[in-house]
This record gives sequence, C-alpha cells and structure tokens, in this order.
Amino acid sequence: MTQDPQRLSDSISRRKFIAATGATGAVALAGCTENTSGAESEGLSGDVIVKGSSTVFPISDTFAEGFMNEHSEVNVTADPTGSGGGFKNFFCPGDADVNGASRPIKDSEVEQCGSNDVNPVEFEIAGDALTMAVNNNADWVDCVTPDEMSQIWRDGGARNWSDVRDEWPDEEIVLYGPAETSGTYDWFNSNIVGEDYQHTARHQPTEDDETIVAGIQDNDYAMGYFGYAYYSSNEDDVKALSVDGGSGCTEPGLDTAKDGSYPMARPLFIYAAESSLKEKEQVYAFMEYYLENAETDTVQEIGYVPSSTELRDENLSKLEEYNTGGTNSTDGE
Amino acid sequence: MATPEQGIDWAGDTGQVSRLRGVAFEVTCLAAVAFALVSVLVLLLYVSADALRPFSADPGWHLVFFLTLVVPSVSAALFYYRRDEPAGEVAYATTGLPVVGVLGAAVFAVVLDIELVTAVEMFALLVSALVAAGIIAAHARYRPRAAAERMAVLFGAPVVTILGVPPAEVTMALNAALSALGLSIEFGVRLLSLREVILLTPVVPLQWIMVALSLTVPVGAVLGGYVARVRANPRAGLAFVGGAVAVSALAPLVGPVVGIGATGWILLVTFCLLPVAVYVEGVIRRREGIAGLTFPLILVGGVVLGALLADLFGFAPPDPWLDWSFLTSAHSRTPAEAGFYPPIVGSVMMLIVIALSTFPVGVGAAIYLEEYAPDSGLAGKFITLVEINIGNLAGVPSVVYGLLGLALFIRVLTMPTGAVMVGGLAIGILILPIVIISAQEAIRAVPDSHREAAYGMGATRWQTTRSVVLPQAIPGILTGTILAVGRAIGETAPLLMIGAASSVRLAPSGFFDQLPAMPRQIFAWSTNLEPEIRHGVLAAGVVTLLVVLLIMNGTAILIRNKYQREV
Repeated sequence: MTQDPQRLSDSISRRKFIAATGATGAVALAGCTENTSGAESEGLSGDVIVKGSSTVFPISDTFAEGFMNEHSEVNVTADPTGSGGGFKNFFCPGDADVNGASRPIKDSEVEQCGSNDVNPVEFEIAGDALTMAVNNNADWVDCVTPDEMSQIWRDGGARNWSDVRDEWPDEEIVLYGPAETSGTYDWFNSNIVGEDYQHTARHQPTEDDETIVAGIQDNDYAMGYFGYAYYSSNEDDVKALSVDGGSGCTEPGLDTAKDGSYPMARPLFIYAAESSLKEKEQVYAFMEYYLENAETDTVQEIGYVPSSTELRDENLSKLEEYNTGGTNSTDGE
Repeated sequence: MATPEQGIDWAGDTGQVSRLRGVAFEVTCLAAVAFALVSVLVLLLYVSADALRPFSADPGWHLVFFLTLVVPSVSAALFYYRRDEPAGEVAYATTGLPVVGVLGAAVFAVVLDIELVTAVEMFALLVSALVAAGIIAAHARYRPRAAAERMAVLFGAPVVTILGVPPAEVTMALNAALSALGLSIEFGVRLLSLREVILLTPVVPLQWIMVALSLTVPVGAVLGGYVARVRANPRAGLAFVGGAVAVSALAPLVGPVVGIGATGWILLVTFCLLPVAVYVEGVIRRREGIAGLTFPLILVGGVVLGALLADLFGFAPPDPWLDWSFLTSAHSRTPAEAGFYPPIVGSVMMLIVIALSTFPVGVGAAIYLEEYAPDSGLAGKFITLVEINIGNLAGVPSVVYGLLGLALFIRVLTMPTGAVMVGGLAIGILILPIVIISAQEAIRAVPDSHREAAYGMGATRWQTTRSVVLPQAIPGILTGTILAVGRAIGETAPLLMIGAASSVRLAPSGFFDQLPAMPRQIFAWSTNLEPEIRHGVLAAGVVTLLVVLLIMNGTAILIRNKYQREV
C-alpha cells in the first residue's frame, strides 16, 4: 500500500508529497487495522469432561449441545462409559469433571475418589422407567412380576421360558443386558434380582443399549432390559413388558414412573467433582445449566421423567454452596 | 505352456491334465479378484447411496444434469482421448489443480479457524524473519570479510528478532528450575523480540491483510520469479506479482459477495488462482493442448446450467446427508444438523502427530537395521531376534497399543485423557513396526552393486547411505509410510482405550486438547438413539473418511511417481 516516490517526485514538491503520503497512509492504516485489545472474549472457555452412565448420556449430550450454543468457547465432551466405568476409570482418578450415574455412588467408589482427593457432589436430575423388553412375536407374555424377573436373571435361575410359567414355551430364554460397568446392571441386580442372588453371567453384556434392542429384535425368545429412552426410540421394534409389583400390571412409561406406580422406576444422578465446581467456572456454569434444564420438557422428549420444581430448587441451592462467586480467574491463568 | 518333450513318469505328458489344472487355477484366481472387488464395490455403493441419497431427487433433476453435465464432459473426454492427447492432459491438470488448491485453502482456513496459528503470529514471524534476513544480508554486504562475526550475526539476528534475549522458553525453564530448587528468585528482565512486540501491539492490520502479506506476497513472489525465468523477462514476473496483489486487494469487495469472506478469498487466490494462472500461462506459452483448457469451463458451465434448468422446471435436487453443512458443523442430536467438522480436524491433527513421531524413528531404525547392524556372530543373532519381534509387533492387536498408550502416556507421563497428543502417540507406536518393515524393504530393494560401486569410489558408509541408498529408497519409504498412516486414521480401538470422548463439539486448537476423531465419532453414531443418525449421518461420515483415505493414498502414489521419475 505504498506509492513509489521516485515517479511522483518529479511533479510534486517533496514536502507536499510527504504530507500527502502521511495523511493517506494514516487513513489507510486506520481503515486496515483492528484493535486486538478489545477482541478478548469475556465468555467462558475451557473443557468440561462428562463421562458415566449410558442411560444418562442422552441427557448430558443434549445439554452439552445446548450449553455450547450459548458458550461457544467451552468444550463440553460427553461419553457413555457406564456409571461404574466412569467412576472407576475417569471420575475418581480425576480425569473427568462430571459423571452420570443411573444408581447412587457406591461406598467403594467414594473411597477410591477420596484417595485421589476427588469429592463427588450428588445431584438427582431425572427419573427413568427401567424397561424389560421381549420380541414382538412373544405373544405369550405381557406382564411379569419382579420375582419372575429375578428367577430369569439370577445366576442359576430359569433356563427356559417354561421353567418360569408352565404355559410359556419350552424354549431357552436368550438374555441381553448391560455390562457390569453399567449402573443399570447394578440397580437391577440389587433391586430386582435381589440381595440373596447374583445377577446371571449368561446374558450378552454390552454398554450399548442399541445392541440390546437389536439382539431382542432378532430372536423370538429373547429378553433384555435398558433405560426407557432406548425403548421410546425403538417402540415398534420390541415389546415392553408391564410389571406387576403387587398392585396389578403397570406399563412402563413416564407418567407411571413419575407417580411411582411403576415398580421399576428409578432416579438418575449426576456427580460433579467439588474441586472442578470451585476451580473451573465453566463446570459450574454447565452444572447450573444442566440442573435448570433438567426440569424442562427437553428431558421428557429424550424419554425420561424431568425433575420436579422442588428438586430443581434444592439442586440449585446445593450447587450454590460451591459457588466461588466468579472471583476466581479463568481456568489455568 | 511348454511341456518337456521327454519324460516317462511325468503326469503332464498328455498335455491335458496340466492345461486343465492351469485353467482351473486361473479361473479361481479370477474369481478371487472378482469377489474382492465386487464385495468392496457393493459395500461402497451401499454406503454412498445412504450418504448421498441420490433417489431423493426428482428423476427430472437427474435427467437435466445428465444432459448438461455428464454428456458434454464425457464427450469432451472422449474427444481428447481419441484426437488430442496433450489436451487431455491439460484438461486433467486444469481440473485437478483447482481441486487441490481448494483443498489447500480449506486446510489453511481450518488452521486459522482453530487458531493453531493465528494470522498475527504468521505475520509477526514473517516480519521478524525478514528483518533478521535483512540484517544478515546487510552484514554480508558491508563486512564481507568478518567470517566469525558473520557466524554470530547468523545466529544472533534471528534470536534477537524472533526469540528475544533471552528466549521466553529459556526464562520459563530457568524460573521453573529455580522454583523447583526452592529459590524464590525470578528472572523477569528480558529484551522482547520484534515478533513479540508485534504480538503485543494493540493495533494490527486486518486479518486478511496480514494473511495476504504473509502468504500471497511470498507465494506470488516465488511464482512470479518462476514466470520471469521461463519467459526470460523480468517484467512478466513483476506483472504477475502486481496482478496477484491487485486480485488480493479485491478481497473486501469480492470475498463477502462470494460468501467466503475476505480471508477466504485471499486463501483461494494464494492456493488456487495463482498456481492455476501459472499453469495456464505455461500451456498458452507452449501452444500445446490449448483445447484442454475448455474442460473446466464445460464442467462449471454444466453445473450452473443444470442448476438453472432444474430450478426453472421445479425439479427437486437430492437431499444428501453428506453436504456442506455436514462438513462444517459439529455433532448434534438433530440428524439434519449433525456434522463432522471437529472429527475431521481432530483426525488430521492426530495424523500430524503420528507422522512426526513415527517417520523419523521408523526410518532411522530401518536404516540402522539394514545398513549398519551386524549380521554375523552373537550380535547378528540378536539383531535377527529384534527383526523377528518387530514383525510380531506389527501383528499385535490395536487394543493392546491403546492400553499401552493409556498406561504410558496418561498414567505415567500424566498427559490429559483423550488428548490429541495421546491418541497420536498411541497410534504412532501402533504403526511404527509397519513403517520400519516397509522402510527396510525399500532400503533392501536398492541393489548391492550400487553400494559397492560407491565404496569402490572411496565413499564412506555415511556418504553411501546418504547419496546412494536413501535417494533410491525414498519413494518406497514414503509409500509405505503413507499407507501405514492411512491405516492409522481408521483405528478406533486405541482411541477408546485412551478415553477419547464420543461427542466432542469443538475442534481442537492445540495438541493437548480433547480429541474428536472420525472413527470414534462414527462408532458413537452407530449407537445413537436417532435411527436417522445411525443410518444416514453415519454413512456420510464413512464416505468422508473414505474420501480422506483416498486423498492420502492418491498423494502417496503421486509422491512415488514423482520421485521415481527423478531417480
């Protein structure tokens, strides 16, 4: 953007030339520059690492997307590792900020976290109706009792359908279920299979609920269980069983889970590391967004029971205790 | 099919048995080839149909584009093939060059976008390097005899202008060492370099001007120099540079109109327009195959005409999953909005780590094993053992390397879980044996007679390796490495082990950021709740991954051909 002085100096006097170039140069420079000091973004930045339950994953992933639409510099990563897998491999070693769980944290996990100076803070965020599903062609069964499920899913339990009820076909029950790292497995093991028995190892274990659905779809005599969201997105592919908890058969559903009439309704949790909440502003902001939105219809659209208004307020006031008031500077600086 | 004329016990005496066997063998081999090709082709077609959804368009749309685009371009290609082969080559190059240029521009746009290198940093580095070069040149001119002083200037000038005195890294390391020793002294005083001064100034030129100054001007100068040389006319070179600057200066006007922004225009000019201009100039100067220059016009014209006609007749275009927004946005839970941008960037950054970490180590190991290692005695036996184990390591499942990466880089070296660097290093170790073996093969393929000839002329082993063996082995080494890296880009298991998250919505801007990788994202999509993501979006991801692989393998072939011609 400079002019060649040699050519011009013939026609214009030197002083005029200097003045003219000076002025045009200043104008050109002013027009062609930007101010870097004002460009510093005041928004949040940094990572929020979410691991944990594959049941909670759809909620976390949706909120991650929504949160990042508002804070484009914050990188919220979500990953379905299973509740136990998330605690054991990522959250308690201090590699994750938030862990989703479809069951409360175990004492052994609290211990493991404690040995790494990670203090988990629990929030109940939604409700789920654990769904037991069979093949669409399994017309002999519509409703089961928890005891029958226990017979099927316990170690050394029923092998064939006819072992449970005589009128059922004399075919082997093919079981598909979550892996041991899953909170769904833990919840089912302690609440339905029962304390006196062990969960069977005969089933096809997977951390991927879609695989369970596919397995049930392909086998007339199959049975499997997963979170309600995975059923509601595959409603035509498999048949959900009603559960008779002593007061008649109840279909799995958001309303029956909400009013507590469905026997396999269970709460879902997320755990945040106390140090992350206190030291990383972006984690605190994300948790605030998460807890506020856990009460909205978004959760219902995914296929879970949103938390109640009271629960939300309780969660938010619990979160407030870890607010350092934004006085801490941005992460890492 | 020569059969021995004599031989009593030979079964093929009659000639029939051997022919039958031979034919059967040939047919079996043909069937194997056909099976492999057809199954891969069917798979590709199946996935592409899911990703591009060609049947979602009106049949009329297909007809229009068949008439405006396919028929003219195919007939032009046939014409070149039959009548005018040089024009065919020109057509191929003038179509390919802009595509490569656009890819280059896209890569650079991504680099600027994720702020791997910002325009200011580039600009500051260039200005400081120029000043340093100027100081060195001036010293050489005014004090041509002071050789020792020149050495000092040669190293001192870049330090003063680029790094600062002392360099910031040195100060930082020193302070870290001091605080580790428990001393509370800190070195704060240092002379800022010119680069740092530019970075600290509150007012800098607009981004597109800095990019133009630090990219377009050097590229234009180099290409202009080339034009001046081949035309034997310095004015032609100056005119070229002037033209480049003039076209760049249009950026604030044209860029926003075209929809790529001023910086995008600058990148397009630098990587696409200038090289194409030089090539077209060469074609016109040589007056050979000028007819081929019309080919890109036929293509572009066909697309524009087709789009206009389809719009006129109201034919609906297809609605592919793999479209522009898929390539430029992040994963979303809404299928229509789901994209692949962060994983593409993450995978490419991981590839950089892989290439930089494995190539020197792998090639170095191969050179040692082939050229220097003892091949007799106890030491020779040990080397044989090492080579056998390298072969074994090439077959170790990738999950194991993932575990190794987890244990070594995350637990021992405490790098962040799921970071680009960790993924790159873990997969780098995975392909290291393959790189070593292919480099060894390439070095072994250099005839011993060449080495002996070099020794016979009195060359040392180092001179022989450097100027006889390596130049001949390089094409093979590069091909092997790029094919190995191609395998690396699709590796998923190690990424799962090192904790690469399934949904990362921000492209990494540094090598220690969270890694979104293409195969990891595809794996995550395969278990998504939405059926449309499991089928459509996933297919689009697979096709993108395949295209990236195709580009890499194509590059491997180009490099090999280029070097083979030169040797």
